[in-house]
This record gives sequence, C-alpha cells and structure tokens, in this order.
Amino acid sequence: MRQGAGSAAAMVLVLAGIAAHAERPTGDPERGRQVFQPCRTCHYPEPGFGNYNGPSLTGIFGRKAGTREGFAGYSKALKDSGFVWTPELLDAWLASPGEFLADSTMIFVGIPDRQARADLIAYLQQFD
Amino acid sequence: MKQTRRGFLTGAGLAAAGVTALRSTPTAALDRRDVPGWDDEADVVVVGSGAGGISAAIEARRATADVQVLELFHIPGGSSSLSGGVCYMGGGTPLQKALGFEDTPEDMYRYLIEAGGPYAPADKIRLYCEESLGHYDWLVGNGVEYARVYSDEKELAHHAASLYHSGSERNYPYRDRVRPAPRGHVPPATNMMGGQRLMASLLASAERLGIPVRTRVACERLVTESDGTIAGVAVRENGVRRHVRARRGVVLAAGGFIHNPEMLKRHAPELYPCSGHWGRAGDLGMGIRMGMGVGANVLRMHHGFAVLPLYPPENVLKGVAVNRLGQRCIAEDAYYGAIGHEFLYNQGGRGWLIVDASCDYPGPDARVVMAALAGDITALGRALGFAPGALEATIDYYNAHAREGRDPLLGKSAAFLAPLERPPFKAYDLGVEKAFYSVHTFGGLETTLAGEVVNVWGDTIPGLYAAGRTSAGIPAAPYHASGLSIGDSTFFGRRAGAVAAARKA
Repeated sequence: MRQGAGSAAAMVLVLAGIAAHAERPTGDPERGRQVFQPCRTCHYPEPGFGNYNGPSLTGIFGRKAGTREGFAGYSKALKDSGFVWTPELLDAWLASPGEFLADSTMIFVGIPDRQARADLIAYLQQFD
Repeated sequence: MKQTRRGFLTGAGLAAAGVTALRSTPTAALDRRDVPGWDDEADVVVVGSGAGGISAAIEARRATADVQVLELFHIPGGSSSLSGGVCYMGGGTPLQKALGFEDTPEDMYRYLIEAGGPYAPADKIRLYCEESLGHYDWLVGNGVEYARVYSDEKELAHHAASLYHSGSERNYPYRDRVRPAPRGHVPPATNMMGGQRLMASLLASAERLGIPVRTRVACERLVTESDGTIAGVAVRENGVRRHVRARRGVVLAAGGFIHNPEMLKRHAPELYPCSGHWGRAGDLGMGIRMGMGVGANVLRMHHGFAVLPLYPPENVLKGVAVNRLGQRCIAEDAYYGAIGHEFLYNQGGRGWLIVDASCDYPGPDARVVMAALAGDITALGRALGFAPGALEATIDYYNAHAREGRDPLLGKSAAFLAPLERPPFKAYDLGVEKAFYSVHTFGGLETTLAGEVVNVWGDTIPGLYAAGRTSAGIPAAPYHASGLSIGDSTFFGRRAGAVAAARKA
C-alpha cells in the first residue's frame, strides 16, 4: 500500500517538478563538487569507484532508475519505478526526498536551494 | 499549568510562527498531567536505532526488560549503518593476538589520553579500556564478524581486512611514548560498508531477542512526572500525536546534530561551513534538545569529527601542508581527523598542500582543487600571497632534513620524507570553502559512566539515559582514531540499557 502511495506521490512530483523547473538555473560544476560532498557518505560518481552504501553515479542521466549492476540495496519502490534519470527528476528528488519516493532506501535531508541542486547536477553531468 | 510559557512556545500550536528559529532550542517537556492517556508502553523506551540505541535495547532486553525502539525513518540503523563500522578496541583482543600484535589495556588508555588532549574524558576512557576485551566478546556474541586479516594501510581500503592502525598510534610523538597497536576492528566489507555489516548483525541480534523496532516514529518531547522523573515520550506517528510510557527509563540515542543548521551555527560554528556534513538524515539534534528540555547539561558542543582525507594515495603525504603564514603546523602523515582538526579549528579553516611532480595526485581529485601551479617555490609562494621568502624558508628547511630522512620540526615518519624539488610545484587549497571536510558533531548530553543523564546542577535525572552522539562520550576533539565513536556508542549504549532496565519503577 505504501508502495502505491509512494509511486503516486512520485508521479505528482514528477509532473509538478517538470513544470516548476522549466527554468532551472544554470549549474556550476565546481560549486557542485562541494554541494555533492555529503553525498559521498554513500555515492561516488567517479568511473571505476563502484558501489558504496549507495550505487555508483557514473553516467546516471539517461539510465533506467534502480538498475546499477551489482547494487543490492535498491528499494522495491525504486526498482519498480520504471523511470529514466533526467536532471529534472533528480532535481525533484533532491528537493524533497521524503515525498519523491517515500520508501526509497536513500534517507537524505534534501537540498532546499535550487541553485545548489543545479550545481550538483552540473557536477554529476561531468561523469557521463 | 506548570511552565506555561515554555510549554506553550514549544508546543504544537507554534508550528507556523517560527519553528525554524526554535530548532536550536531545548524542547520543553510535557507534564504527565497533560498526557491524555498512554497509547503504548514498555519498561525501557529507546529513541533511535543506531549503534547506541540497539546496543542499549539488547542489554535492556537481556536484563529481562520489555523494550521498545522508536526510529524516525522507515529503515533502522541510523548514521552507524552508513559509517565505516570501525570499533576501537584493544588490550589484547583475540583478533589482535591471532594476528601477532601485543597490546594491554594500559597502553590503550595511555594512547587515548596522550592523543586525546585536555577534553578527553579520563574516567570513561579508563572504563572503556579496562573492559575492551569483554566488549569485543559482546560484539562477536551478537553476530559481528571479524576476519583474521590485518591491513597496514593508513586508511581502511583493504576489503578483506578487519584490523588496522586506525589512528595516530604510529605517529610522532605517540609512537615514542606508547607501544603502538592496531585497534581499529571492522567487519570485512567492500567500499567502506563495514557499518552496514555491523548494524545488520546488531539489528539481527535485537530481532532474535524479540525487540520491536517501530519505524517512522518522530519523538518530540519527554514526558515528566511532577518530581522530574522521566515518564515517557510524546511522539508523532502518521501525523498523530501519541504518548509512549516508559516504566523504567528512556534512552536517548538519536544521533548528533550535523543536519540541524541552526543548532550547528549556534553551537559548532566551525563545522557549519564544512562541505561534507556526514551522517544519515536523522542527525537533527532531537535527542539533545529533548534532554536539554528537562535540564540536562551539555558538554563539548563545538567539538566534532573533522576529517580532511588527503590520503589515499599515501604518496601525497610526501607533500608539505602549510597554514596561512606558509608554515607547517602538523605532520602530514597524521591521522586525517587530526589534520582536519588542525586546519579547521587552529588555522582558521585555511591551508594548502604543497606537492612536487613526484608526490602529486594522479589526476583531478574531488577532495581538493589546485590553487596555484609554478615552476619554482618562490613563484608558488607569490601566487599564494605569502610574505616574501616565507614558503621558501619552509621548503628549504624541510628539504634539508628530508634528504637525511628526518623531520625535526614535526616528526613525520621517514616513509613520507623526500625533498620537494621536482617541478612543477602545485598548491592544493585545503581551505574550508574549497576542500572536502567530512564532519559530524561530538557534543551532547552529559552522562555518567552508567549512561545516566546529568542535569545542570550535577544530579542524575531519574529515568533518563543517553548514548551515542546524543551524549558527550569518549570522542572529543581532536579526534585521534577511527572507531572511537562507534566504540563509545556500543559500549556505553550497553551500559545505559542495562542500568535503565534495572531501575526500580
């Protein structure tokens, strides 16, 4: 039941997110390097570093969510989500992780600042 | 009604009027007479399901108490489950012995006191060292697995290893004062996932004991009897306020406050600007605020784990780290928590790592950015804005001794001593704005050796206990060995749970 509720909430946010962030600010990858640092508790985007507590983020954009080879920690909610990662979707998730996919295994405080999220996304885009 | 103003201000009614401004303040207790009725009860209620909370719950249950663990998120484990999972233990553990290392509780104590500095809590450290062997047995008895593999690396990069020198034991001046021993014990794991393994074992042990871990429960306020005894916890579950009675005691083990910016700015401003606020999302200071709300004393609130991980690769430690005067201030091969502490707390959050072509990072590195590049040291010093001649003096002095394999100024180990003389020379910015500092908080509620929370008048608060980073435990700044935080959480968590279970209701 929670899965269903989570997915529904995700869909709403996805649509809302795409609309609201049509004018996403331009990100600065160097600022994004620092914004991303707390994420290194669990994630590394560098090719070859592999999975840690969270999956590798190398080439995340354009990948189907929940499909990183060798990562066993995905929630059912994310594995079943069926979406492909875009900057817009990551922006929506980072803005309010508890609402985007409430049952995700990623327990994270969120990044309320839009510019900071854009910087982080620009940083990750370097690892495609 | 008692304490009307405080009670009103922190009550639910204020939600719209400035909750942000109050996130750093104590959370006032709820008077027992204002509790409409208990929705649930247990002998011991544990707030938080990280290493401290689960260790407390296990020991309370073994002492035959009826225990309930309340967890804010839908997955138990807390920040401990994202940590390296290292436990600092010694005195001759079976693993140390099996791998051929000699150690005594006295050596372990002397290292922790010598390296710990003036804030190191000697009484807690004494007990922790004396009972370290028993603690090892306890962890193993709860399913925590260690492999008979030692790693000689400074950082936990060896996936199969379970024992390593996790602090500054082999560094000057400690190596000359206390016989070094490897005391970092960690379940073998790939990519720093020892914490996940540690918590999986402890949570499985708690489950075998039949301890319920209730998830998605936000603990908000303590409930007190008219005499100040802790009676229970006011929680929010699915948006609904509920009241959980604790017949014998409440153990606050809700983590530190690295993810509470207001609290951080107020209590630990050095940690606030650091890029890597480290810990799971529950490190919001709730346990500390709830304790403060019943008059608990807090200690070492500005202290923190401040890691500036220059290594791996260890080769870069042949470089020279300088402060804003262009002078060295700490041996570059020190434990990375000591390096981070030095630059963050003692050098105003500014510094540079100077390398030559022989000890540079192999490629761009997310931890540091280059601040200057030059063909000689004079030009590099000029680019960094040092006083004329300052950096040259530092490097000339360093090189002259490094050629002889010595570092008379700071005692860097011979393995990392080589003159910097192969251009190009580079300076990496170690400033807090540019470098990667992973940080979390050490400050928290004052507790006794039994885990009882102490109030501002020095008395214990009946029925209130704390563990892990909600308490002010063994980890104090400067942090000088990995595994002291998890070690403290599990060790004193156990004591808090056992003592809470034994309290006469």
